[in-house]
Amino acid sequence: MIILPSKIILFAVAGAFLTGILCSLIGSFIVRMNLSSLGFCMSHAAFAGAALGVVLSFSPLMMAMCFSTVVALILGPVAEKAKLDTNVVIGIIFSLMISLGLIFLSFSPGAAMSSTALSILWGSILGITIEDILRLLLITSSIILMIVLFFKEFQAIMFSRKMAEASGINTKPFYYMILFLTGITVALSLKLVGGLLVFALMINPASSAYQFFYDMKKITILSPIIGVLCCFLGILLSFFLDLPTGASIAITSSLIFGLSVMVSPKRKRG
Amino acid sequence: MIKLKNVETVYEGEKTPVIKDINLEVKRGEFITVIGPNGAGKTTLLETINGLLEANGNITVFGKDIKKYGTEIRKNIGYVPQDFSCDSLTPFLVKDVVMMGRFGKIGLLKSPSRKDHEIVEKTLSFLGISELEKKPIGKLSGGQLQKVMIARALAKEPEILLLDEPFSNLDLNSRSDITEKISLLNEKGMTIIMVVHDINSIPERCERILIINNGKIIEDGEREKVLRGAK
Repeated sequence: MIILPSKIILFAVAGAFLTGILCSLIGSFIVRMNLSSLGFCMSHAAFAGAALGVVLSFSPLMMAMCFSTVVALILGPVAEKAKLDTNVVIGIIFSLMISLGLIFLSFSPGAAMSSTALSILWGSILGITIEDILRLLLITSSIILMIVLFFKEFQAIMFSRKMAEASGINTKPFYYMILFLTGITVALSLKLVGGLLVFALMINPASSAYQFFYDMKKITILSPIIGVLCCFLGILLSFFLDLPTGASIAITSSLIFGLSVMVSPKRKRG
Repeated sequence: MIKLKNVETVYEGEKTPVIKDINLEVKRGEFITVIGPNGAGKTTLLETINGLLEANGNITVFGKDIKKYGTEIRKNIGYVPQDFSCDSLTPFLVKDVVMMGRFGKIGLLKSPSRKDHEIVEKTLSFLGISELEKKPIGKLSGGQLQKVMIARALAKEPEILLLDEPFSNLDLNSRSDITEKISLLNEKGMTIIMVVHDINSIPERCERILIINNGKIIEDGEREKVLRGAK
């Protein structure tokens, strides 16, 4: 009786720690590349996937993961082939996904089933299992490894993709890799903060970190630290005030961002 | 070293090529200045040579097809774009931006070595901007940023240097200083193609001039001869 709650709390804390690192790390790249809407697009892809899962009586979470991963895989090549700005393609896919999600839900048998799909958008930290933690651990370590291995290429692309190309870097695979890793990150973070709030966890800690340094390396290190802090403070807030966890984490991260802007040395004169 | 045969570049959605019927051969160690009115196709020519734009026709650099081996070839081409700008909060320091010029050469899965850092320091010192090393790139003046972009191109120790309006944003002293430096590099064997719009800023060392108008090379010859004709 006593072991169960402590186990749940332990899993929740571990999940928050890993999701905080994962989202904020990827966030530091997508904020710099002006792809903030990417997280939002992926979340809605996850929602459409979950809704389809409900209709087909298949695991909504698995389908959500499949949808965000597929969107992440096709986004870069589609934008490149169609010679469109990535943000335009993101906007189109976003509207397509939310429409698909609503259509799928209209086919679902009952309100209870629809709420299963909608729960993907809100997340549930207390439902995290050991399998989820292991998946998060695997993908977090893989992403950290990739960032360490290809940091200089990512850095050059973030400064200017055209100049990176002129330096003799084949930017395409690295650009696609960032989009793909974002999709995976959203898919795996769904259970903790939900599809809608994962966006906040990607953007807010990274944007806060950008307020303190001009050095990309330092920003890439600080961003996940702030992400983890947001998750822990958010969980505490949710436990003490009995608020939804995802929303508490998002509010905490927004407050930290506001605070960072206020104390930012980049904005001080003299 | 550089060969362009019947090259034309058309931008996406456009019907008229920006540059057309371009036939050009550049020998190792040449210093060429490209002049012409605004919109003549000077920048497009440089970006076509560099393989940054898709073009029809044959383009070979170092004897290799730029369409097939663009990434490989660009490791040995320094490129300074026209009027490069970045916002004031850009999270990169000058030394990092200059080092980025070497990333292609350093190669995948390798970090910049001590030698790479020394080259970056040497390049900054060569251009007289060592004091900017730790400054955020977004906090520089237009002239300082221009020098940093030149440093970035030179840090690669390229065999070919493509300069697109390198004197824009530079004051008179800096212009003559940069002219002296690139002339020195050419003296040491670097092939240089430079785009300018002002005839007076053509360095003395430049011995060949191209005039582009309406996307075509209308003059290509020795400096004195071309300039006499232009006047």
